[in-house]
Amino acid sequence: MNSSLSFLAGILSTALLAPSVAGFQLGQNNPAALAKQSSIIFSGTVSELGAVSFVDVPQSPQTIVVRVDSVLKKPPAVSLKKGDKVTVEVKDPSAFQPGAQATFYTEGWIFGSGVAVKELGHEFNPGGAAPAEGVRTGEAALGQMQKQISDQDLQNRIASSDLVVIGRITDVHRWTIPKSAAARYHISEHSADWHEAVLQIKSILKGTKPKGNKMAVRFPLSTDVAWVNSPKFQKQQQGIFFLKKDQVSGDPKASLGGYQVDAYTCLKPDDWLPLSDEARVRSLLKN
Amino acid sequence: MKALTAFWMRLLAFTLFVLIAGTLLIEKQSPPKTGIGADGLQSAGTLSPVYASPTQVKLVDVIPASLSGETNQDSEPFLAVQTANPQVMVASAFTPNPVSSSSNAPVYVSQDGGNSWVLNAITPVPRMTCDITHAMPTGENHPRGDLHAGTLACAASITLDESESNDVSSSAVMNVQSTRSNVDQPFVRALAISKSDHIYIGVNDFNQPNGHTATVDVSVDGGVTYKSFSIEARKTAGQDGPSVRPAVAPDNTVYAAFFGWRKFNGTTATSDVVVVRDDAGGTGPNPFQALRDPSDKLPGRIVVKGTSIPWSNAPTLGQERIGSTLSIAVDPNNSSTVYVGWADHGRKSDIYTLHVRRSTDRGLTWSKADLPQTTISNATNIALAVANNGVVGFLYQQLSAGRWVTHVAQSHDGFASVQNLILANVPADTPRQQFLPYLGDYDYLLSVGNEFRGVFCANNSPDRANFPQGVTYQRAVDFSAKTLTDGSGNPVTVSIDPFYFSVPVIP
Repeated sequence: MNSSLSFLAGILSTALLAPSVAGFQLGQNNPAALAKQSSIIFSGTVSELGAVSFVDVPQSPQTIVVRVDSVLKKPPAVSLKKGDKVTVEVKDPSAFQPGAQATFYTEGWIFGSGVAVKELGHEFNPGGAAPAEGVRTGEAALGQMQKQISDQDLQNRIASSDLVVIGRITDVHRWTIPKSAAARYHISEHSADWHEAVLQIKSILKGTKPKGNKMAVRFPLSTDVAWVNSPKFQKQQQGIFFLKKDQVSGDPKASLGGYQVDAYTCLKPDDWLPLSDEARVRSLLKN
Repeated sequence: MKALTAFWMRLLAFTLFVLIAGTLLIEKQSPPKTGIGADGLQSAGTLSPVYASPTQVKLVDVIPASLSGETNQDSEPFLAVQTANPQVMVASAFTPNPVSSSSNAPVYVSQDGGNSWVLNAITPVPRMTCDITHAMPTGENHPRGDLHAGTLACAASITLDESESNDVSSSAVMNVQSTRSNVDQPFVRALAISKSDHIYIGVNDFNQPNGHTATVDVSVDGGVTYKSFSIEARKTAGQDGPSVRPAVAPDNTVYAAFFGWRKFNGTTATSDVVVVRDDAGGTGPNPFQALRDPSDKLPGRIVVKGTSIPWSNAPTLGQERIGSTLSIAVDPNNSSTVYVGWADHGRKSDIYTLHVRRSTDRGLTWSKADLPQTTISNATNIALAVANNGVVGFLYQQLSAGRWVTHVAQSHDGFASVQNLILANVPADTPRQQFLPYLGDYDYLLSVGNEFRGVFCANNSPDRANFPQGVTYQRAVDFSAKTLTDGSGNPVTVSIDPFYFSVPVIP
């Protein structure tokens, strides 16, 4: 674990586990939610008020320039390192003076020759020193925060699904829209190339079990930009499927074993999880 | 004493004169800061339409320095140049929001004539657009605004937003003025007429009855209201092809080209290439019916009848898909002259062949065959534009010997003579495609004063041999090692980037 990560973990553990002790000044936001919401978190020293760090950022009384002391969280695509100057559009400019050291929780704003961000929250570093260390070991705290965030995403996914099913794919075939619904089907570069998977149900984690032990799950096989991140299923694939009733392909019904049944779709990148996540999903369902 | 004072005054005046003259001379002869040639463009923030002519080609990788670590397939580029101040431009590509999957999809903004670009997340679409085109006619006189965009959202139900920004440098998200689903490939052209932005958006609108899907959305009030007009008058194979391309002249002449699909078998579209025209900016009760074909008297002149266009939504031309590349351009000072270009199956040994034809009588008659030197084998992404002096520009990307070669050709005599520049010559097998389209279903060219400006996408390997006219990167690169870096010295893998270019119009 590198020093920046340890540093972040320390801050986050403090934010998550002992906010009152650390005296965070993060407004009314829940620290964990704020950390999740922030795409870029860094510690830095305020160098200029009412200024910008590169020409393409609109200058205003709310913009300040901060020299980066350490980067705690950033996407891999973003080039940001110690010593860089960042423009921060702050919520309350009167809270900052040149030389002040703080940790900034921010979202990305403008990316050019430098980085400009918008403040979501900040914490002044006591005595101008490095931020306080967390009460637990940093790595464990960071892991807990990431799990908490991930669990929240998963809970949202469960909540938005009509059915959550553990099962196995027994067949995959191209699905052609029936003539009765063909008027709604058009050809474009964004065509989904719908395929239908027959899903053998092992257990239902959420929702009412459909009649029979199998169901039809439609998914786009297209690698067009609109669909490339959707799950692509293969025969014998097992896992946890987060399903919605089909309102996309053009026909909400499927033919399965000679019967007309509801068709379901699996469209978002994380609408399928491996069986190794079963215990976690079951645990979240109990909450 | 007086004589001595006069002497010193004269000496001082002479010294000042020498200093000023010397400074001006040095400035004029200074090498360009970009390393690719100065063009006399004004510095950022100035808003005069006056600018000097470019002296040589400018080619810039649009990815900003602060995103040096990115490895996205930033394909399918587009470009808008602000009419009132050509220093201000907006470019776009399939570039995701770099920090959040729930934040808005971005565009690239330049305020210094394309020398530098920033990424600003102002489109109304989450994360990444699934189609975006735009124009900046500035009829409403916003210094960094009047950007009108047509965007498709990458959602289960693909939705068109027609939106505007009055300041592309601000963080304000574009204002959605019109929205509807079940449409494809919006293509925006616009012109400021009588202090109002006239906007023309070609779309393949599946909501149109009888499969007459080729459609132009028209707004003559800056996007406040839009009217949709089907421009297809003939029986189709259930729909037309995806590409519907308007072209606007300052005299209120509006052309539009489209593929009238007559048969479709899943792998080949048997298609007419059709051009419609309106002489009143699309404002009449039955617009786009000024041209009728002699064969059936129906609106829409058939430039080519029943051509075979291969349709493949899979890697087919190198790693690129094919099926619908089309462009139309009108002479801004003589709207009787109009060019149309497209791709079809072409010669037997070809995968995809480009063609360009011309009309000099407002679309009534067209050249019977391709203009000289415009039948291009195994090429795609045609984009045409006509400069103020009547020179036509022809941008295309050709797959040749395992490489994607991006050309910009110019001619003042209908391609009897041609200046053909290669802007990029890059490996076609790397990087591996992340999705389709690999380079884009289109690129773009437009004329600005005595420049052709445009955008295309290519492998971003920093190898000067790949860019014969020179190139500038904003993102971190090591030219000696021919590698991209993340700004901290760590290597970054090769990906597809959008490139902006400016080429002087030939006399």
